[in-house]
Amino acid sequence: MAEVRVKKETNLAEPAEVETRIRELCQQFPQGITDQVIQNDMPHLEPQQRALAINKLLSLGQLDLLRNSSGLLYRLKDSQTASKMKGSDNQEKLVYQIIEDAGNKGIWSRDIRFKSNLPLTEINKILKNLESKKLIKAVKSVAASKKKVYMLYNVQPDRSVTGGAWYSDQDFESEFVEVLNQQCFKFLQSKAEAARGGQQSPMVQRNSSFATSHEVWKYISELGISKVDLSMDDIETILNTLIYDGKVEMTVIAAKEGTVGSVDGQMKLYRGVNAVLPPAGLVKTPCGLCPVFDDCHEGGEISPSTCIYMTEWLEF
Amino acid sequence: MTAQEVRLCGLLLQEHFGEVVEKVGRNLLKSGTQNLRAIVHETGLSVDLVKKSLCVLVQHGACSFIQGRKGPGSPTEYKAHCDRVLRILRYPRYIYTAKTLYGDTGELIIEELLQRGHMTMSNTVKTVADRLTQSMDEGSSMDYGEVSATFSKLVETHFLQRCPPAAGAGTTGSSQTANSTSAAPASSTAPTPESFPDCYRVPQVTLIGRSKRSLASEEGEDQRNAKKAKMDPETHGDEGIYWQVNFERFHQHFRDQTIISAVANKLDQTSSEIVRTMLRMSEVTTSSTAPCTKPLSANEIFRSLPATYNIPRHILDQYLTLLVDDPMEFVGKAGESGGGMYIVNLNQALANLARATLESIVQERFGSRSARIFRLLLRKRHLEQKQVEDFAMIPAKEAKDMLYTLLSQNLVQLQEIPKTPDFAPSRTFYLYTVNQLPTARLLLQNCYKTVANLMERRLFEAKESKRLLEKSQRIEAILASLQASGAEPEQLTEVEEMITAPEKQQLDSLRLHVNKLDSAENQVDETIFLLESYISSSTKPTS
Repeated sequence: MAEVRVKKETNLAEPAEVETRIRELCQQFPQGITDQVIQNDMPHLEPQQRALAINKLLSLGQLDLLRNSSGLLYRLKDSQTASKMKGSDNQEKLVYQIIEDAGNKGIWSRDIRFKSNLPLTEINKILKNLESKKLIKAVKSVAASKKKVYMLYNVQPDRSVTGGAWYSDQDFESEFVEVLNQQCFKFLQSKAEAARGGQQSPMVQRNSSFATSHEVWKYISELGISKVDLSMDDIETILNTLIYDGKVEMTVIAAKEGTVGSVDGQMKLYRGVNAVLPPAGLVKTPCGLCPVFDDCHEGGEISPSTCIYMTEWLEF
Repeated sequence: MTAQEVRLCGLLLQEHFGEVVEKVGRNLLKSGTQNLRAIVHETGLSVDLVKKSLCVLVQHGACSFIQGRKGPGSPTEYKAHCDRVLRILRYPRYIYTAKTLYGDTGELIIEELLQRGHMTMSNTVKTVADRLTQSMDEGSSMDYGEVSATFSKLVETHFLQRCPPAAGAGTTGSSQTANSTSAAPASSTAPTPESFPDCYRVPQVTLIGRSKRSLASEEGEDQRNAKKAKMDPETHGDEGIYWQVNFERFHQHFRDQTIISAVANKLDQTSSEIVRTMLRMSEVTTSSTAPCTKPLSANEIFRSLPATYNIPRHILDQYLTLLVDDPMEFVGKAGESGGGMYIVNLNQALANLARATLESIVQERFGSRSARIFRLLLRKRHLEQKQVEDFAMIPAKEAKDMLYTLLSQNLVQLQEIPKTPDFAPSRTFYLYTVNQLPTARLLLQNCYKTVANLMERRLFEAKESKRLLEKSQRIEAILASLQASGAEPEQLTEVEEMITAPEKQQLDSLRLHVNKLDSAENQVDETIFLLESYISSSTKPTS
């Protein structure tokens, strides 16, 4: 009976106390609380009183109202944002919230318009305002060079926005990729040659010509070609281009957990290989490389008899 | 049969048999099966000439005839074989192969048979022996027996085969009498040489003695003619048995050589020797169209390895494992018995080599970055443009350019997959892909066109300096006759100086040009061979 009485006392307490209790609850569940939680915690609180308290907190900007699948959700606003947003109106708060939700992927101003239902001019004004306060920043996306996306000032942009290590200022650094491509190949080739030189059994020879992606990564980072830090994944993308060049082969082997360079108990091994065939006979002739091959007919304007490419080739 | 093939066939026929045969052959190739009357009408040649041309074509197997296709009593119809005509392009390679395998004698046997279509064994041996005697030193001559032995060896290794017995009138006639209802289909299928059990049986030939040297002088000619007349009625016991070159067997040999050299390039010399041994062991037991060789156990391979390689058993096992592991899949494992059973994946190897050829053609023609895209598509089948850019690590603008160029050259195909039935571009996936077989076909046609171009250019070059060539020939003839009559050296130099220095230079450069064009033709033919065998191996139903 005593407990009940105690509870009743709290229930009858001032609205201020209800507010603190709700705030405490919110702190307990940082991901947010539903109406139900408050009701369970303070079963004898009048719905009206509860609504009053929540509304007050909301108007003070201490609480966030979110909607999820199960209904409304209350969450505590962190005090930092609260202080940052001081002096901004509701529209600004709304836009800020939309940008915050977009996370590190950023959001396009048109999408902000759709989500907020504000006119574009208004949004532009707000965005400029927020930018000058260093609350948000505009990042140019690599996918579309003219498209600016907005995200919070302190957020590191996602790889899909910046393009990862291969982009600087939204430009793809093809020379950088080519240099890395060549260096990786050189490394694998020298390894294969060293393996071939030894007087070992063929099995050992082949196995020692393989290099793990980790070894390649180490070699490249020690070379210091790159100003940016490259990850193993970056190196593997480079190695993949070598596979598509037909210069390198890859196999996957099972590795003991915890071995250097293994991912999910697997290790990717790469090795340089030779071409299977010399260049085909067709491309040793001028016709094989001729840009006007399809227009060439005997007796026509372009014909084998009068072909200048053929003449040059024969004089060579 | 494409326009390019017909053009090339026409040029080949013209070069080897002259313009009349070319006209008849081209007409047959263009309009398909025809009877004599139609050919005469369309070519505008005399009946006699057409008959003779058809004889030439039939002799070389480039043309066959069928009787009564449209019911009994209908006129005989003629049909040209495009693929057989295209073989002419490969003659130098056949002859060269015979030379490397069986020496000068083998070379001459193949050369004679290729030039004459088909011959009896006794005839071939005699001609070859005579030719060899001609080139030998004074006083020595070639033994018939030696030449016959080489001939038998060529037959044993299936490089030569008997011509099927006269397929035309005889067989169809008999089948018609036997069963008139099934006569038409029976006669329409051309009998293959392989279907005769005696195909590779060498007949008993009575040919003893040595060839006589024919003398260059007038009376020698007379003497030889007289001798010929005397020899002709002689019988050697092989009349009516004609021999021809077995192209399939040569192709099998070329294919094996290509595979061996590819293994040597990819792995090392020793592996290629192992593959060579495996292929040699299954040379006769495997038919030329089989997708892979008969399984060979590691023990058998070990025993058949030439002793000079000195490969211990455990090293051989390692090599075999490496060959099986190699992504090119030249060698496969068929079982575990007998120390492991191994096969050579012939069709797979051809497909891989054809792919390498396509890749190299793209690489040479469009640059290594385009080749990267091409290989990427071969590997990953279907990709969107964005994915191509990401995987190949090529800037979007350049990648787009390359993809579109490849697409416009038909080396890459575009597959549209609409999300909605209206094919609106914004709601459609555009997937790029490479189809190996059609691409190989396309490039094969390009090869045909290239060879035809090279030949035309060669003819053009020869025509341009026709006067000069004739002059140099005349002077050479004069020089030869002067030398024979024992003229003074001053006289000889005087004649030699009739060709001026610039003319000499022109002749030299012409010779250089013609040689270059010739060797280019042969190189392109290697590509043609690889693509042809890949296409035929992948379209033939594997049974």
